[in-house]
Amino acid sequence: MAQVPNLDNAPINLKSLRDQSLKELITILKNIRGKKCLVIDPKLGGSLSLIVQSSLLKEHGAELRHLNAEPVQTDCTKVVYLVRAQLELMKFICSHIHNDISKGIQREYFVYFVPRRAVVCEKILEEEKVHHLLTIGEYPLYLIPLDEDVLSFELDVAHKEYLVDGDTTSLWHIAKALHKLEFSFGVIPNVRAKGKASVRVADILNRMQLEEPVNTSEMGVPEINTIILLDREVDMITPMCSQLTYEGLLDEFLGINNGAVELDASIMGVQQEGKKIKVPLNSSDKLFKEIRDQNFEVVVQVLRQKATSMKQDYSEMQTTTQTVSELKDFVKKLNSLPEMTRHINLAQHLTTFTSKPSFLGRLDMEQTLVEAESYDICFEYIEEMIHKQEPLINVLRLLVLFSITNSGLPKKNFDYLRRELLHSYGFEHIATLNNLEKSGLLKKQETKSNWITIKRALQLIVEDIDTANPNDISYVFSGYAPLSIRLVQHAIRSGWRPIEEILKLLPGPHSDIKRGGFSSSPSLDTLNGSLHGSDKVVDGRRSLVLVVFIGGVTSAEISALRFLSGQEGMAYDIIVATTNIINGSTLTETFVEKLG
Amino acid sequence: LLWKESWELSKNPMATKGSPLHGPRIKLIEKSQHLFAETKEYVFESKAAEEHAKLLRMQHELEVTTKQAIFVDSSISDTIRTCIVLGNHRAAAKVKTEFKVSEKRWYWLKVFALATIRDWDALEKF
Repeated sequence: MAQVPNLDNAPINLKSLRDQSLKELITILKNIRGKKCLVIDPKLGGSLSLIVQSSLLKEHGAELRHLNAEPVQTDCTKVVYLVRAQLELMKFICSHIHNDISKGIQREYFVYFVPRRAVVCEKILEEEKVHHLLTIGEYPLYLIPLDEDVLSFELDVAHKEYLVDGDTTSLWHIAKALHKLEFSFGVIPNVRAKGKASVRVADILNRMQLEEPVNTSEMGVPEINTIILLDREVDMITPMCSQLTYEGLLDEFLGINNGAVELDASIMGVQQEGKKIKVPLNSSDKLFKEIRDQNFEVVVQVLRQKATSMKQDYSEMQTTTQTVSELKDFVKKLNSLPEMTRHINLAQHLTTFTSKPSFLGRLDMEQTLVEAESYDICFEYIEEMIHKQEPLINVLRLLVLFSITNSGLPKKNFDYLRRELLHSYGFEHIATLNNLEKSGLLKKQETKSNWITIKRALQLIVEDIDTANPNDISYVFSGYAPLSIRLVQHAIRSGWRPIEEILKLLPGPHSDIKRGGFSSSPSLDTLNGSLHGSDKVVDGRRSLVLVVFIGGVTSAEISALRFLSGQEGMAYDIIVATTNIINGSTLTETFVEKLG
Repeated sequence: LLWKESWELSKNPMATKGSPLHGPRIKLIEKSQHLFAETKEYVFESKAAEEHAKLLRMQHELEVTTKQAIFVDSSISDTIRTCIVLGNHRAAAKVKTEFKVSEKRWYWLKVFALATIRDWDALEKF
C-alpha cells in the first residue's frame, strides 16, 4: 500500500490541493532541462513522500539524494537543492559547491526554498561567495494533507521557536497557508482564536485579505464555515498525558512519521534479520480507519472478534457446499486478510509495552496529577523517578504536568527538584530547564492554582466511561477529556461567549471575528456567531469547521475531534490543520537543549 | 537583564564543548557563577555553576587516580555509580558528602550500582 494517502473521501477537495503542489514541483523539474540531481532536505523528504512517489520524480529525469554534509556524488551536471530556509543547510550547500570547485567540477546549481526564501540564507550564500553561481527559486509548499481530515503545516519546532525564542516567522507561515486555502475554498466567515499566537494569526489573516483579497462574489458559498485557532500553550496538559487510542499509542511507542511507522521486519512476521520496514498508516487502510481512533482496549477485542469470525467462515468453507455468490463473499473477506495480519502484529507488539507495570504506574500517576488532589504523592513519585535516573523525557513530561496543574511549584520544591535533576542528569541540562521556564511549562508558584476550577467547569474528569461505546471524548484518555477539545466543543456549539470566564483563566487572549461578505469590522460581540442550523449548506453536504492547532496536536486529540463530528446532531464536519503531529515526548524534546 | 541571558548561554556551549583539557572550562564556569551571583534572581543558576565547577575538578582527580577517562561530563549520580561499580566506595562517599546527596538518592544509586556488578553479598549486607 502506498504511503501517499487516498483523499477521495475528504470533506473538501484536498486532492486538488495536493495536485497543485505536485504540479508546481513538476514544473520546477521540467524547467530545468535534462538530467539533474535533486538533493532534498531530509526533513522535507518525509513531507514530499506524502505528495509524490519517488518513481514519478525519476520519470522527470531526477536522481534523488538526501542533503547532508557529504558532498553529492553524481554524474549529473545540474544539481537542484530543495531545502527549508535553515542556516545549517546553507552551510552544507556551500561546502558542496566549494568541494566541486576545488576538484574542478563545473555544475549548474539551483536552490529552491520551501516555502519561501529568507534573506539570512541568501546572505550566507553571498558571504561564502557562491551566490552568483546559483539560481534561486521558491517552492511554495505551505500545507500538506496528511489524511482525509488532517492537514499539516510541517513546522516542527514552531512551538518552541515562538515560546522560547520569540520567533514569529511560523505565524506568518500559518496565516499564509490559511489564506491560500481561502483562495480555493472561499473566505471563511467565522474566525475564533484562543491564545497569543492564534490571535496574531487571525490578525495577519485579516490583513492578508485586505492586501490581497479573495474575490468573494465569484466563489459562492464558502466551503469552510468556521475556523477555530488554538495555541498549544493553552492546553499543555493533554499532550503530556499518555495517549490511549490505537494510533496514539503507536505514536507514543513506535513514533509515527509522515503517516508511517518504521519497525523491525521481524515484528511484522517477515523473516529478515535486522531489516527495517515501513508500515503506512492512513485512512486508505479500511481496518485502520475503523480502529485508529478507538481506545486500545477495544481495539484488541475488535481484532480478536474479526479473527474468530474469519476462522469460522473458513471452517464453514470446508464443510458445506457453497453457491458461487457465497464463494465470492468469502474471497472478498480474504482480501482484508493482509490488513488483519498487519494490525494484529502491530497490536501484539504494542501490548508488550502497555502490559509493563512501569507503564501502568505512569498512567496512574498521570491520572493523579490531572486530578490534582494529592500533591505529596505526585511530588514523591517524581522525586523517585529522578533518583532512579529514569529517562529524562519521561520525567520532564510528568514534571510539566505537575507544574501546570499547580500553577507552578512552591519555591522550595521547585529549587529542590531542579537541583536533583541537575545532579542526576548532568549540569548541562540547566539550559533545558531554562527553556521550560521561559515557556511557562515549569515555574515557581506565584498564584493559587486555578486548574481545579477549570477542570470542574469544563468537566475534564469523567467517571464511568465505557470505552467500547463511548458517549464522550474522554474515552481517548480513559477518563480525562482533553481540555483543548472541550474548548473546541464549546466553540462550535456556542462560540466563546458562554465560557469567557474560563477562557480568562487560560493563557493568552481570545478573539471572535466575523468577516467576509457579512461585515468586515471585527467585533467581539457577535453572539449570533453561534452556529445553529441557519447556516447549513443547502446541497446536503455538511458545512465545515477547520480546527487549527498552533504548536501541534496529538493523534488522540484528532481522534476526539473525529468522535465529535461523528456524533448525532452534529451539523459539521471537522478537519484539522496543525503545525505538526506531536506526542508528549516529541514535544518535550524540542525544549531539550542540545549543545556542543 | 539582556546580558545576563547571553551570559547564561555563553556558559553552556563552552561547558559542554568539553575538551579533556578543562582547565579553562572550569574558569569559565566559575566566571559565569560570579556573573549569576551579581543579581538576586539567579541564585539557583549561580549555585549550579559553582557545583558544576567543583564536580569537574573532582572528576578530573578521579580520572587521574583511576587512570580511566570515564568520569568527566557525567552527572553527579553517574559519578557515584561509577565509583561504586569500580569498588571505590571511599570516593563514592566523598562525592556524596561533598554534594550533600540525600540518603534517598544515595540508596537508589547504591542498589543500582551493586546490582550492576552483581555484588549480591554487599547488597545483602546493605
